[in-house]
Amino acid sequence: MSLWVDKYRPTSLSKLDYHKEQAAQLRNLVQCGDFPHLLVYGPSGGGKKSRIMCLLRELYGAGVEKLRMEHQTLVAPSKKKIEINTIASNYHLEVNARQGGRSVLFHLLFHCFTSYFIFFFIASHLISSSFSLLHILFHLLFHCFTYFVSTVMLETRTRVVIQELIKTVAQSQQIQSSTQREFKVVLLTEVDRLTKDAQHALRRTMEKYTATCRLILCSTSTSKVIGPIRSRCLAIRVPLPSTEEVCSVLTAVCKKEGLLLPPELAKQISERSGRNLRKALLMCEACRVQQYPFSADQEIPVADWVIYLRETANAIVSQQSPQRLLEVRARLYELLTHCIPPDVIMKGLLTELLNNCDGQLKTEVAHLAAYYEHRLQLGNKAIYHLEAFVARFMAMYKKFMEDGLDGMMF
Amino acid sequence: MDWLTVGDKAAAKRHNRWVDPSFTDLPLQHKNEVKRPRKRKGDASSSDQIFYRPNKQSQTDEDEPWVDRYSPSCQAELAVHKKKIEEVENWLRIHTTTSKGGILLLTGPSGCGKTTTVRVLAQELSIRIHEWTNSSNMESYSSSSQYEFRMNGLSYSSQSAQFREFLLRANKYNWLKIVGDDGTTDKKLILVEDFPNQFLRQHGSLHDILRQFVRSSRCPLVFIMSDSVNRDSSSRSLFPKDLQEELNITNISFNPVAPTAMMKVLTRISTVEAGKSCGKMCVLDAAALESLCSGSSGDIRSALNSLQFISFPDKALWTRKDRHVPSGIKQMKKKRSKKTKQMDQEPAIGGKDASLFLFRALGKILHCKRGNHGSPEAAQCAPGPALPSHLAHHQRDPLLITPEMVVEHSHMSGEVFNLYLHQNYLDFFSEVDDVAEASKYQSDADLLAANWMTRSTMRDYGSSVATRGILYSNTRHTSVGFRPLYKPNWLLVNKNHQENCLAAQSLFGSFCLTPVSLQTELLPYLPKLSNPLRNQAQLRFINDVAQMSLRRFPCRLKLETLTDKDPGELKIDAEEEQEDKQCQDGAEAPHPVTDHILLDEEDLIIDEYDSD
Repeated sequence: MSLWVDKYRPTSLSKLDYHKEQAAQLRNLVQCGDFPHLLVYGPSGGGKKSRIMCLLRELYGAGVEKLRMEHQTLVAPSKKKIEINTIASNYHLEVNARQGGRSVLFHLLFHCFTSYFIFFFIASHLISSSFSLLHILFHLLFHCFTYFVSTVMLETRTRVVIQELIKTVAQSQQIQSSTQREFKVVLLTEVDRLTKDAQHALRRTMEKYTATCRLILCSTSTSKVIGPIRSRCLAIRVPLPSTEEVCSVLTAVCKKEGLLLPPELAKQISERSGRNLRKALLMCEACRVQQYPFSADQEIPVADWVIYLRETANAIVSQQSPQRLLEVRARLYELLTHCIPPDVIMKGLLTELLNNCDGQLKTEVAHLAAYYEHRLQLGNKAIYHLEAFVARFMAMYKKFMEDGLDGMMF
Repeated sequence: MDWLTVGDKAAAKRHNRWVDPSFTDLPLQHKNEVKRPRKRKGDASSSDQIFYRPNKQSQTDEDEPWVDRYSPSCQAELAVHKKKIEEVENWLRIHTTTSKGGILLLTGPSGCGKTTTVRVLAQELSIRIHEWTNSSNMESYSSSSQYEFRMNGLSYSSQSAQFREFLLRANKYNWLKIVGDDGTTDKKLILVEDFPNQFLRQHGSLHDILRQFVRSSRCPLVFIMSDSVNRDSSSRSLFPKDLQEELNITNISFNPVAPTAMMKVLTRISTVEAGKSCGKMCVLDAAALESLCSGSSGDIRSALNSLQFISFPDKALWTRKDRHVPSGIKQMKKKRSKKTKQMDQEPAIGGKDASLFLFRALGKILHCKRGNHGSPEAAQCAPGPALPSHLAHHQRDPLLITPEMVVEHSHMSGEVFNLYLHQNYLDFFSEVDDVAEASKYQSDADLLAANWMTRSTMRDYGSSVATRGILYSNTRHTSVGFRPLYKPNWLLVNKNHQENCLAAQSLFGSFCLTPVSLQTELLPYLPKLSNPLRNQAQLRFINDVAQMSLRRFPCRLKLETLTDKDPGELKIDAEEEQEDKQCQDGAEAPHPVTDHILLDEEDLIIDEYDSD
């Protein structure tokens, strides 16, 4: 028994529940036999992946659904091995763009360091007579070294992963090319997480292997995808389904399960889920587990961390003191330990806090959150920025409340 | 970095050997015929301590290092705190009279008299010392029991095997009675100061040997280790708490030699030497001695070496250096009037790099000591006129410390130091506004060091911004009294975060989701769905990570208290070295109270959040 989300995922373009016009266009695209690189974007839970998988099935038949997890080992130019996980069928390969970065970095650093020290050792033997010369040399070397590392690192980090993978896929021709398409597909998820350099490398790779390979890029927004890539791809936007569409999907799924979903509950679920269909289906299934037959005013289960975050926000609003900040910090740590990414925490915290504060404060708080979210992306250790946001909110809120009190008194 | 402590020691010894020839043109003679086979005579043995009565044998030898010449021979001459000596003595008494052996671990900074205490006490209690020394090859064995190795086996055995053998034999067999040996006693103790190098890398093997030793032990075993600010202090890794409990190891920790005791010793020696040399050498005044004293930061060995060094001005070799001395002394005299600056200046000679244990360093920043506004000293330090009225709220009293120096002395990278500050700063603030300000600066500091390409240069600026930011934004002037300090949770949290994310990816990869939606959307719902098709690992993960305990108080992460001698980054913590420290350091470094903050993992219903 698999989850409803997986069980009732549409498998062909004709079975899609919404954005039917777009589905028809996609089918036309595939029926021409060939298609350009695609860039599929849209908010999470809108059905990007489902659409892509439908497209692949349309292309290659049922074979694409036989997925296997693969553990690939790549060799970086530094001869270090990089391990990544991929999901593949005979016809396509799915890679998450975020993988492989960190390990490459460290291996490279280590590599560079060792070679640098050997070099330095030799040099110091050559000019052992003069200390000052050695000193100068050291500085020179150090500069060379930083330059060397920086170029190598930037070029290699994720680029290696992407390029190598695509190369292996692209270089192996389809065996049964008579019956099948003459290209394979590489599906790259979370393209917006790629660094600029990796994206540039991707651009070159895209051009090089057009004959044997098509790329489908998948991302939540195009703003972090560089222009050259955007222009090389056919951009397909997959918007979120409307509330009614979510409701109809939920009802249809429940019907297939043999359940009766009251329309009020369906509506409530779709609103609660923020029109994120995946979330909506999970919520619906959780409702089913919680209680059946459904009642219209049933409480909808929410993810634990959301409740936890709400409580954290309440804690912030109810009292502003260093001690309370310490408690909030512990809660933030707890959230981080439970795999909630810092930017999601920041966003959730902001939404909860905005609910709690007055209209006048809202702009300031949003500005504050944007400021620290930006730093969160740039910075190194998330907790500093999260905590700075909370602390400054506390100070601001406290001042606002005190001013309000003063205003009341006079 | 395990080897560093021992390395320190070795360096110190080597240093002594280097010093020797500078005072003498003759090769060092063996000064005293030792009753017990002692290989490292004169190194650590006699150098740690001083006594003011010259040894009979060495009186003739003018150029002998003073550390050797004035090494103490009785308890009264030791510059160690009375109670410590008593403690060690009691232990020795108890464990030598009964045939049941035990293990004693002596720790403390280098040059505080650990070895000398043991030797002096052993002499007084007429216990023989049987010492292990690392040897580079078979030939260099000098201890009688070790000769057997050379006799028996030509085959070279590993150092740890030798050590094991040594322990067991030393434990089992008594000394041979040799004519002329005045040892009338069969009491003995085994002393290990030189750790076989292998143990520093593989702690387990030492532990195994010790367990074996304890099972059959008949005579006491004493380990001596130097503390260091190094992050991997080997006393903690070699003798972890659980092992100490398991094997019933007594740990006595020495403190740096107190300034008064050291001063007394230095003065005596100085006068004795001056009297002997008949004006040949310059006599140092009290101020110079005091500066030597403070410069050596409790290391009596280095203080004595410096004293001897400074006192011989007329050696041609040292004329160049000599010129520095008076100027240094003059400086110091001036310095005495301005006590505020004293910290930053180090004497030209004899200065030991002052290093702060992390606890003290953090305290210096967090307690934020400032000069009094009204005092003349403060007026001196603050140049320029007072700030105009619209900027008056930026006015702060002058600092008594230089934050950058504190960070430097703490022997940590700025980032780690910032983490420690971040973990602890909240306890020292009372106003939310101040906290907001301080946290802003910390966020800035993190940003400065964020880029790995520029990090090496920027991290100093980062730590400067963070420390000064915290100092600046703390507007409270009163002292907060003692607050316990904790180790940062961030590293652990971050590690868990990464690991959990990876685990989620690998365990639930079959859902083909992006990490964010997997972690925030799918996983939280999995425990709410009855879905039997999960393997054990997945179930466990769902239990641990996907579910959050809402009913509970946000169980604080277990806070690890930072004790005052803790080196930076350590998982193991220790709360030894408590009582005696306080009587010397006074209010300066009080001791953390661990228990009252650590919340139990009990079900505390959150009701305060819902109210108001």
